[in-house]
Amino acid sequence: MNAVTLNGLSKTYSNGKKAVDSVNICLSAGEVFGFLGPNGAGKTTTVKLLNGMLTPTEGSCTVFDINPAANPQKAHALSGVVTEHAQMYDAMTGMENLVFYGSLYGINPSESEERGKALLRELELTYAENQKLASYSTGMRQRLSLARALIHQPRILFLDEPTSGLDPESAQNVHRMIHRLASEHGITVFLCTHQLRYAQEICTRYGLMEEGRLLAEGTLDTLRLQICSGMTLKVKASRIPETLLCKNTAPGAFELQIQSEEEIPAIVRKIVEQGGDVYHISAELPSLEDIYFHLTGKEQTT
Amino acid sequence: MNHQITAIIKKDIRSITSNKRMFITLLIVPLVLTIFVPSVFILVFHFMPENNTELLELLELLPLSIQDGSTQRSIIKLILNYIMPIFFLLIPIMAASVMAAASFVGEKEKRTLETLLYCPLSLKQIFRSKVMASFFLSMFVSAVSFAAMLVVTEAEAYMTTNSFVLPDLKWLLIMLLVSPAISLIAITLIVRVSARAQSVEDAEQSAVFLILPILLLIVGQFTGVFLISSWILLAIGVLCGLLAALLLKKCMDNFKYETLLK
Repeated sequence: MNAVTLNGLSKTYSNGKKAVDSVNICLSAGEVFGFLGPNGAGKTTTVKLLNGMLTPTEGSCTVFDINPAANPQKAHALSGVVTEHAQMYDAMTGMENLVFYGSLYGINPSESEERGKALLRELELTYAENQKLASYSTGMRQRLSLARALIHQPRILFLDEPTSGLDPESAQNVHRMIHRLASEHGITVFLCTHQLRYAQEICTRYGLMEEGRLLAEGTLDTLRLQICSGMTLKVKASRIPETLLCKNTAPGAFELQIQSEEEIPAIVRKIVEQGGDVYHISAELPSLEDIYFHLTGKEQTT
Repeated sequence: MNHQITAIIKKDIRSITSNKRMFITLLIVPLVLTIFVPSVFILVFHFMPENNTELLELLELLPLSIQDGSTQRSIIKLILNYIMPIFFLLIPIMAASVMAAASFVGEKEKRTLETLLYCPLSLKQIFRSKVMASFFLSMFVSAVSFAAMLVVTEAEAYMTTNSFVLPDLKWLLIMLLVSPAISLIAITLIVRVSARAQSVEDAEQSAVFLILPILLLIVGQFTGVFLISSWILLAIGVLCGLLAALLLKKCMDNFKYETLLK
């Protein structure tokens, strides 16, 4: 059974804006899927469609074989959602909020409190469990939202920019937790973000969105293959033989494209034999950021 | 009623009672209406010269059932059983509007509605629990106001006439039929505007239209066009009850995720 299936999913709003355009994605249980793209790419709309908040204009989607548009209640029982717009109650304390949402999932107060305490401990919020939410900072609210989304032990987590407003250390903790939830508890994570570097650290698969369209989808390796088959070799040397086709990026710094690391010894040998001194050499695979900009650049020119 | 609905009702009522500004708004109007207004009427008439012929002529025009031995008792009876019932109808409208606006539009304004919608409850359950929370609070405020009014009026009646003046059948109709029905109408009106209202204040203003018929009743009675009777109240109650049921049904049908999240 697929955790998430998007089948030609499209959504056009009443003002005529096509927010999601024929998107096809299949996710297995336990995957950490990075749904990436700039603001307005259609990420949040997709999350809303997957939770039955919006009805698709065309196509369909399922969450563990449940159609969220037809059975939103069943889909909600399996999923935890964190979005920027889904806030909690300021007049209640962190723990009261967790117990309240727990009760909506049919969990008794003592059990909710127990689970809440464990989650707050993990998210380093224990000190604030009895503080009113009104006194929470953005980062604390965001972490409490994550605890709220996990209180009923969901099978899938939809996270829409979960680290926005977090300081680097808190963001790192949240990412570590997401990674652990997937690897230890088998929770599927659908992570919407525009922070490509963080996504590369924790996701197992990626979907790159732009203006409602899915530009590319797959693992980092398959995405790399889509833009180029090799890697970039960065060299710092006193001089480079003219026979090596390379780009001069700065005085004494050069870049050249190679297919594999096997080619590196021959290149170094050539430089040295021509009397050049080598100060630094490194081979770099394209990052998610490189892939994203390459794909969006290609789209813009076509 | 399942646990989820109870949890939302408790949370909604608690959010109103813990919000001082809103709670004071909710208490001031009932207190003015049920304690201050009858007291002013009773005391003004009490300190009036007893041989005021114009007043006696006016009282003689009233039905025999109101005329009750002494002028003072007749006046208190008139205030308690004819004037106050109409003023009292403002209380459930106001309480239900404040509560429904906070419960529906307030959640939207504070971005907590979306979180609630992601929970495994049907829209019908969310709608029902919010209507019930507003309804219960409105009925509670009405009951407390009635009790406060009764204590104050009876104390004043005893002090000025050495006897009690009891409320009649009209109060039973108001408490059990008219007040619940107009509370529900006020709630549905707020829910209807909640999709486009940008703030709690916007939504509350829509309930102003409900006060107009009440004002007509007050003016009609003071100008002598009619005198409120149990039959009139029964008819108003039944009509409002039917209207409330119809509006609730229509409102529920318009309660959709997409409209709520706009």
